[in-house]
Formats: sequence, structure tokens, C-alpha cells
Amino acid sequence: MKRKLIIITNLLIMGSIMLFIIRYANIKATESYSNEIAAFEKLTITINQIIANYLEDEQHLCDLWANYINRSAQEGSPMTSEEAINYIRKAKISPEIEGHLVFLDTPERNGLSTGADASDHGVYTVSYKNVKIFDNIEGVSDENDVVGLTRAYTNPMNGVQSIAFVNNVTVLDTQSNEQKSALLMRVVPLSRLDQKLVFLKGGYENVEISLVDNEGNYVVRGKSFKNSNFFEYYKSYNAASAEQYGQVISEIAGGTGTITIKNVKGEDCVLSYTPLKIMTTWFLLAYIPEKDLVASRSIDWLLLGIASIGFIFLLIFNSIVMMIYNRKLSEAAMQANQANEAKSYFLSTMSHDIRTPMNAILGLNEMVLRESGDDNIRRYSESIRTAGSTLLGIINDILDFSKIEAGKMEIINVDYSFASLLNDLVNMVQKKAEDKGLAFNLDIDRTIPVLLNGDEIRIKQVIINILSNAVKYTRQGQITFSVHAHKTEDKPDSVVLRVSVADTGIGIKPEDIDRLFVAFERIDEKKNRNIEGTGLGMTIVQRFLDMMGSHLEVESKYGEGSVFSFELEQKVVKWDPIGDVEEAFRRSLSIRSNYHEKFTAPDARVLVVDDTPVNLTVFVNLLKQTQLKIDTAESGDEGIALFSANHYDVIFLDHMMPDKDGIETLREMKNMTGTPNTGTPVICLTANAISGMREMYTNAGFDDYLTKPIDAERLEMMLQQYLPEDKVVTSQETDETDDYVLPQFLSDLKEIDIDSGLNYCGDGESYIMALEMYRESAEKKAEEIEKYWAARDIKNTTIKVHSLKSTLRAIGAPELGEFAARLEKTGNDGDMETLDKELDKLLSRYRQLARDLEPLNGDDAYEKDL
Amino acid sequence: MKKTFRTLLSLGMAALMLQGCGSQNKADVAFVPKYDKESEFSLTVAGYYGNFESLESEFERFYEYYPNASLQYVTMDDYNNVISSALVNSEPPDIFTTNSWMIGNEAYDDMFNACEVLSDSSVGIDYSCISESLIRTTDSGDVVMIPIFATSFGMLVNLDIFEKEGLKVPTDFGELMDVCAKLKSAGYESPMMGADRFSGSGLFNCFAYPMYAYNVKNNIDKIDAINNFEPGSGEFMRPSLERLNELINSGCIDLAKCQEEITDEYDSVIMRFFEGDVPMMFATGDVVSGTAKRESKSDAFSAHPFKYRFYAAPSADDGGFFINSTSICFSVNKNSRNIDMANEFMRFLINRKELGNMAALKRLIPPVDDLSVDEIYSELSKMPADRCFSDKETGLLDPAVRQFRAAIYAVGNGTMTVDEAVAAYGNIPEE
Repeated sequence: MKRKLIIITNLLIMGSIMLFIIRYANIKATESYSNEIAAFEKLTITINQIIANYLEDEQHLCDLWANYINRSAQEGSPMTSEEAINYIRKAKISPEIEGHLVFLDTPERNGLSTGADASDHGVYTVSYKNVKIFDNIEGVSDENDVVGLTRAYTNPMNGVQSIAFVNNVTVLDTQSNEQKSALLMRVVPLSRLDQKLVFLKGGYENVEISLVDNEGNYVVRGKSFKNSNFFEYYKSYNAASAEQYGQVISEIAGGTGTITIKNVKGEDCVLSYTPLKIMTTWFLLAYIPEKDLVASRSIDWLLLGIASIGFIFLLIFNSIVMMIYNRKLSEAAMQANQANEAKSYFLSTMSHDIRTPMNAILGLNEMVLRESGDDNIRRYSESIRTAGSTLLGIINDILDFSKIEAGKMEIINVDYSFASLLNDLVNMVQKKAEDKGLAFNLDIDRTIPVLLNGDEIRIKQVIINILSNAVKYTRQGQITFSVHAHKTEDKPDSVVLRVSVADTGIGIKPEDIDRLFVAFERIDEKKNRNIEGTGLGMTIVQRFLDMMGSHLEVESKYGEGSVFSFELEQKVVKWDPIGDVEEAFRRSLSIRSNYHEKFTAPDARVLVVDDTPVNLTVFVNLLKQTQLKIDTAESGDEGIALFSANHYDVIFLDHMMPDKDGIETLREMKNMTGTPNTGTPVICLTANAISGMREMYTNAGFDDYLTKPIDAERLEMMLQQYLPEDKVVTSQETDETDDYVLPQFLSDLKEIDIDSGLNYCGDGESYIMALEMYRESAEKKAEEIEKYWAARDIKNTTIKVHSLKSTLRAIGAPELGEFAARLEKTGNDGDMETLDKELDKLLSRYRQLARDLEPLNGDDAYEKDL
Repeated sequence: MKKTFRTLLSLGMAALMLQGCGSQNKADVAFVPKYDKESEFSLTVAGYYGNFESLESEFERFYEYYPNASLQYVTMDDYNNVISSALVNSEPPDIFTTNSWMIGNEAYDDMFNACEVLSDSSVGIDYSCISESLIRTTDSGDVVMIPIFATSFGMLVNLDIFEKEGLKVPTDFGELMDVCAKLKSAGYESPMMGADRFSGSGLFNCFAYPMYAYNVKNNIDKIDAINNFEPGSGEFMRPSLERLNELINSGCIDLAKCQEEITDEYDSVIMRFFEGDVPMMFATGDVVSGTAKRESKSDAFSAHPFKYRFYAAPSADDGGFFINSTSICFSVNKNSRNIDMANEFMRFLINRKELGNMAALKRLIPPVDDLSVDEIYSELSKMPADRCFSDKETGLLDPAVRQFRAAIYAVGNGTMTVDEAVAAYGNIPEE
């Protein structure tokens, strides 16, 4: 396409230059032609002058004869016609020229001639009866030097084509003895005029001079002219309409000019015309073939030809050079693609290779968390889990980005519960926020439909990225997570979700906002160097949103906070509203507890095949409390051997194994007959977290898949799904006995309602932890409220009071919580006065309760009862 | 394209059908220049035609063989009176036009004396393609003039009128009377028109001369008596004069209208015919030759063009006659300063192809023995062979022809009766 464009552009430029050359050459040729025409016209005018001089000379001689004859008459002794003719016979010098004296008033229009009849030498009488030349003679007058001229005619005395100069004379009629008018004619052979024209060609070899009268009849005719009349000639050989014909006649009769006509061969010829100066009835025509005037044009075509060839060579040369460069560029692009593919492969491999040991780390850590009673160990272990999760997130980001770059990322829409999605999000983020002392506010539209259709995983990933960023970059204050929904008119089966995350974090400078979406770019690197991250989060978010037909909007004020939001259209599967999820989360949060197996299945038997022994250890330990019988195998063949020997209720097969991978192993298992495992579900274990995975493994024959590192909860859920129901005994959490003994002093505290607290927190341990958390953070939170109130920042004061209200309810201080709720409403109403009066009381009681809980600090009163 | 094709087809068919009127069909021999092609020379051809485009086109073709030649056609005023003088002056024409009627006329003895004998084998002109019946010789049997064009006498017929009125073009006198009556009743004041002139192109001559000539031809043994105006020889005119009288009295032709509206025997005839309301216009081939050029000059014809053809006048009870008559001839001035080149040009021109080209351009009948005629003359090809003849076959000399013209002019215009004209033969006043 590009090459075509370049060639077309080249051709256009060359074409333009060629056109310019042609146009320039034409202009020059036209100029040259115009100059030639002007010169030719000038020649015509010069010839005109010479002919006019000649005609005037001849007329002058005729006038001399007439004057002499008329003088005799004026002196009273008029000449007879014979005397007059004799006089002329003596006066004329040239034998070719004749003098005729004609009496026009006689029927025969006869008279005398100086020359005898050529065919009868004794006869000197001349008759013009059949020669019609006297009707339109111009300039016949008694004045001298006024040319009176006949058309070209045949001299009746000798048959010679002639012209005659005329003047009036008076002679004596011998019969009546009276004076009589006659016409004196100086008859000149046309050949004399013709001979003069021969020498008037100037520098033009092929010029032909013609003289025509006003009716177009030739007086002198050039060789190339045909017909007896020029106008007839023009009409015969030039395709002209009557109008054009009339125009040409009037042009030629109208003055001096030049026209182009066709000759008998159809060739273009130039005709220059001008009226004879001394008379208006004769016109001089100068004719020349056009090619004689435009011969120089061929040079321009030569120039054009050379330029064309030059351009073609240039084009070929450029094409060759371009081809060579293109080949080099292609090679470079191929190398770059190969490098990119290698990078993608590397990232993918690395991701897989990292995820595999991560499975061991996180899995074993989970064991530690479950089994260790030492709080310090548990804290360390919790830190490992957090760091592991972070590392896993980074790996996932890199993997996602590499997939996006390679164009392998796909959006897979499924039906999903929006409440469940929110639950996951809140669970993932809320604790992190609270750990940093940030208020995590939820603002969820209760009308959002419960069941939507979309790519749940990517949506979750987008929101987690935004929320995680908000937590990471907010040192104090709060994070508000809002989700609202509205319907669209044109799509009645869809809903548009508006997701917004507002924080009171460090904010972004306006000039940095665009950099937010550039891969591997980290904003304010110097300031945020301690904040972990790859710089890929927002890039991935933006790409995912783009793939889902949305985009991220960012509003930020540097140093004050940011709002990240986006709108997403989702198909609605079930329109029932999700209701008050905020309260549900609070409840679920409060009852968050340590690990408990979801079920026990002592009669069930499971086979797990993985080439990494530590993974097998993790797998076995994660399910230890379920009392499952678990057989392990470290290779496909070993697994097949067990498969053929024992019955299993569920089989887990690792995908990536040396020698025989999971798919090959499964194929072999499926092909086996007579095994005790017909119909046993087989689940793939994989560290490949790629889109389309479910289809890939389903097509390979697996019933399901589980990604590594293995999520213990998900593993148990999957087993619950696939194990025979009769072998599974579901654990009843409600039946659990609270292992914690609450300190006695709590019962004495007036502000505290233990039952309410336990109801919120779920069990005694959680309740004690909530109370401890309250005690530790109370002073800090109170100071924050006071600080905001001192600055009369009613908004943040109200938000903080809202947070206080929630905390108080969670620890079972309903009365104080109600007090806080009232003040929150007061704040929302903007009632500064009431706040001013009541806030101190609230904070005073709040601090007092914290002080009352001081015994919890270092007290062993609530030790776990093992 | 279609028109050209139709013309060619028609010419071809006409040529085939007219074979009955000719005798020879010799193959043409291509012209081979006899002299150096680089020869520089000038020739003047003199004549009385105002325009001679067909000849000028031959000049151009001749230049292909002699590119340095310069040929010029000159129209001479008062040609018939001046040509003899012109031949002896200092600038004589090299070639000039002559007419068959000039033979035998003393006024042209000097002119013929100045003519090259073209039948002389040393001149090298092969005129065998010319219809022998058109070639005239001097008393000594020399050929000094070669026909260039042939002509005939008849009438132009407006075929659109006949088609419109649902009539057929008459082929004999009875049909003519019938058609004229129908045309008159359809509103055509004068179904036939023509130039009321003394000349050969006059309407009376076009109608009556072929009938008269046919009669003379059939009585060739009396030709001397007719030519010598012997008493009683005027009787040979009687049938044609009576038929003319019959035509005039039938009301087919309004002479007053003709005299008023047709003021000459050439231009006016054509232009009046092109008005489109004249079903039949008496004309000669020479008049027909001017039609092509004048079609565009006539506003009426340009606005409403119509189809027309040349027919023999249906003067006899059993039809009309096609008389093949010489229009003009070319003679060579034996005193020409370029006599060799003048003869060379004649050698080039006297050729079936070149004469055919000229005739096509001029819209005249070529003088060759196998007629390749213009489409307009195509109806002549339908004439029976026994009614086709040349004026040479009649043996009539110019004085006798002129007396016949005087007779029909007088009878036609009512200045003489048929009996008076027959009786006055030899002494009928001429124009």
C-alpha cells in the first residue's frame, strides 16, 4: 500500500512536471507562433504597400492619358476617338499594355483599342458587350490619382487575363460632331502584377500572394487556391457552418488579420489578409502552410521526450533504492518481531515458571498459617501471604500485558453475579485499606441487577487495579468505591454501570495524567519509589476497558486526591436488584474468621499427579483437614499405573510435565478399558493463566481446570462439586464453639453490648480483635476528626463520623453508634451549630470507651482456649 | 458511411445495367509518367466554367506524379469569342475547353487549327476509354478535342412529391398527362417548369430535342437534307413540335410562371427546383451538375430536403429517350510552350478512373463507354437500349440544331404555329 502510494506520488509529481513542460512548451510555441504570425502579417502589409504603389503608378499613367485627352476638350479642340487612341498608342511604352476607349452608352459597349485583334490583325474595334466588368468599378472619377480599377478579366482583343485602370474622358463624336463621354482604359496583363508578386515573398519560400475582389473573385490567384472565387474555395474545403462562413467573409472584408484555413489536402494553412490601401474592393491574401511557421515546435517535443526518459530512469532508480531499503526494513521488522515473540515467549514461560514455585510458597505458607499457634509466626506467615499475593499480581500484570501486546487477549463474556463480584472486590481491598488506616466507603446502587453478562474476570481485574492503586497512593483519608447503574433507551436488555473510585491520595499532576497509561511508566517515581508496582496497572486497565468498549476517566488534583471512573455496558440476565450489599459486606467482614475446612470426606479417594514434589506436598496439606485419601504420583506414567489399579473419585493432573504431559496422560487414561475409573472427573492443574483455557482443556477431555498457585478455598469448592455427594460431609460453622473466653470487664462497660458485638464480629476472637483495633486507633481517629473540625471541614468531619459510627456498631456500642449516626446526619445537613455543640461529647465518650478497653492491651484474659 | 455505400452500390448497379448503352469495357492502364518527375512547369487550362473544382482536384492528383508542376484553371470572359484570340496572344492557354458544336463552324477554324492532333500516335494519348459515339473528328479525320463530360436532356423529378401524392414518375406521354392532371388537382399550379430560354438547357429543348434527334437518327439517310435545310426537311421536326404544342396546351406547364420565376438557365433553375414545390423541372445534365453545391445554398432545401432524380422526358407515346451528348471537350494548344507537358496531362486525364472522378465531383455523366454514373442519373440505366443514342449518331450539325431550337422556342412561346415553323425551317429567326 505504502509502496503503491509512493509510486503514485512519484508518478503524480512526474506527471505534473511533464504537464508543466508541455504547457510551458505550448506557451512558448504559441508565443513563437504568434510572433511568426505577426511577422507574416507584417509581410502582408508590406506587400500591400508595394502593390498599392504599383497600382497608383499605373493609375497615374492612365490619368496622364486622360488629362491630355480631356485638356484638348477643355481647350475647345476635343480629340476624336481615333486621335485619342493614336495619342495613347504613341504615349504608351510597353507593347503588352493596351489602351481601350469604350463608349459605355452604346449597346455593344464598343470602342477602339490601341492593339489589333489578335486573331484578326486589321481590326482595332473592341467590344465589351459580353465582358461584364463595368458594374462595380471602384473609384472611377474625374479626379487624378484615384485608382479606378476593373476586376481581372479577359482582354477581348487578345484573350489575355488583364486588369484595367480607368478614367473618364471626353472626345468628339465625328458623326454628331458633339463631345461625348467615354471610358479610357489602361489594360495591363495580370502577368505583370504576378511577376511583381513573385519577388515579394520575403523569407517565406512557400508563401503565395493572391488578390481578390470584394466578392472573393480572384484577381491574382496563388497556386494552392482553387475555384474562381476565394470564398467558394473556403467553403469547399473548410467545414464551416453558414454562420462561420459569413463570419470569415466579414472578417476578411473588415480589415487586416490572420485566420487558419484548410487547403485542398486538408492541411492547416495560415492566411493573412488586408485590404489594398488604395481601394476597398480588393484584398490581399498571403497564404502559407502552417507547418512552415511552426517547425520549431518539434524541439519542444524532443525536450519533452528527454525529460520523460529521464523521469522514467529516475523512477526506476528510486524504485530499486526503495526496494533495497524496504528489504532491509523487512529484515529488521522480522528480527524485531522475532525478538518480540521471544520476549512474549520468555514472559509467558517466566510467568509459568514463577507461578509453579509460587504455588509451593503460598501453599506451604497456607499450611503454616493454618497450623501454627505462634502469633509471631502467623504474623510472619501473613506477611509472606501478602508479599506472595503482590508478587503474583505483578506476574499476572506482566503476563496480561504480554498477551495484550501479542493480541492474544480476548474478552470472554459469561453470566455473573454482580453481588459476588463486589464481594470479591471488597474482600480483596477493604482489608488492605483498613490496614493502612484508610476509610473504605461503599456507595453501591441498590437497583443494580443481580445477574449480568460480561467478562467478570477482566472487570474484576480492572476495578482491583484501580482500587489497589487508590490504596497504594493514599496515605490517609478514605477511599470511596461507588457503583451506579442506569438503563439505556436504545438497548432495553442492557444496563450501564458507572464505576468510580475516589481517594484522598497524593493526586496526579495534570501533565502526568497522560503518562498514567503508558506501559512501565511510573508517575512521580522519586516520591513513590517505595510503592511497589510495575507501571503496568493503568495500561492494562485502559486496554481492558478499550476491549470492552469503554475508557477510563481520570480527575485529579495534585496533593488532594483523584477520581478514577468508567462506564461499562453490560447485558442483564436477571433484573432483580442486588439490594443493600453494603450491610451484607459489613456483616461478612465482621464474621471473617480463620480457616475452617468446608467439608470432610474420609471415604473419598483422590489422585493428584504433578512432577514437582513440593506441589504434591502443598496439595496434600491443603486438604489435610478434609480427611480425604490422597494418592500422589510424580509422572504421567506413575499416575496411569495408579489410575489402572485404584478407583478415585476425582483426579488432578498437572498439565506441564516432562516425558508425558497432562493431556497425553489423560488421553492414555481415557483410552484404557476395564479400569475402575470410568467416569471419574479429571481436573487439570495449570500454571498457564491464559484466555480460552477452559475451552482448551475441555476440548482435551478434562472436566475442569484449576490454576496454580492453588487457592485453597477454590480447591475445596471444586472438590465439593465433583466428589460424590454421599461421601461429603459439609462442615457446619454455626455448630462451631467459640473458643474464646471474653474478659469479664467487658460486661461491666456501660457502652458495650457484647451480644451485639459478637453478632457483628461472628466469634469471640474476632470480637476481641475488633475491640483491640478500636482501642489502638481511637485516639488517632479522634484527633483526625478534631483536626478536620478545627479547619471547619464539615465534609471530611462528617465522613470520619460516619466511619466512627460503623466502628462503634461493629464493636457492639450501639448507643454511641446511634449518637455518631445522628451527628453524621447533622453533618450531612450542614448544621454546624449542632455539630459544634455535640462533637466534643461524642469524641469524649469515644475516647473514654477506648480508655475503658485499655485492659485488653497485653492482657492474657482472652487467650485462646485450646 | 451508409450514404457512401448506397452511392457505390447504386453506381455499381447502374454501371452493370447501362452496359446495353456501351460496347467496350477495356481495362484501364495505370498512368506512368513519361518525363522526369522533378520537371518544373506551368500549365494553364482555359474554359468558360466559372468554377472547375473537379478539374482542380485532378491537378492535385497530377501533382502526385509531378510535384513541381503548377496547373491553373482560368475562366475566360466571353469565352466563345475570345478563345481564338487567346490562342495566338503572348500568354496562350495550354489546354482549353471546346464543344462539339464548334466543329464545322468557321468561326472556330483558327481555334481548331491551333489544336494539337490528339489522335496522332506520337502524342501518345490513348482515348479508347471514351465512348466512340461521342468523339468528333475534323473533316480530315483528326481528333483535336476529347470529351471530358457527357450530358443529356430530361427533367429533375422531386420524388418526395410523387411519394406524397401517391404517384409514379411517368414513363410515357400518356402517363405524363395523367400525372400532371392529378398534380394540378392536388394544387400544383405548374407541375412542370423550366427555363424558357433559347439555349440547349431551355425547357423546350429538354422536352423535344431527344424526340427530334431520335427521329432524325431513324432517318439518317436524310441527314444531309436536314443539315442543308433543304425544302421539306423541316417536316422531320413536326412530330416533336406537335408534341411540344400538345404539352403546352395541356396546362402541364405554366410558361408565364416559368418566365417570371426562372430568370436564367442554370442557377435559377436549380434554386427554383429546390423550393420543393415543383414536381418536374426540365434540365440538362449540365444543370444537374450544379445541384450538389447549391443544396446548401438553398434555405428551403436545407430546411426541407427531398429526394430527387434525373429522368428522360417522356415525350413519346412509348416513352422517353436518353441522348448521350457531349458536354465539354479538352483540346491542347499545339503552340503551347509546354506542349509536351500539356499532352502529358491529357494522357493522365484521359483515363476511365480520372474521368470518372471528375464526373462524380461535377455530377455529370462521364464520357466513357461503360457508364459509371452518379446516383442521380440511375434512372437513365432503365432506358431500353434502343432508345439510348448519342447526338453524333444523328449526324446533326450545329446550324440544324440551332434551327430546331429556334422552332421549338417559337412554337413553345406561341410566336409560330407548327406549320409555320416546319415551313420556315432554315430561316427561323434565332436569338
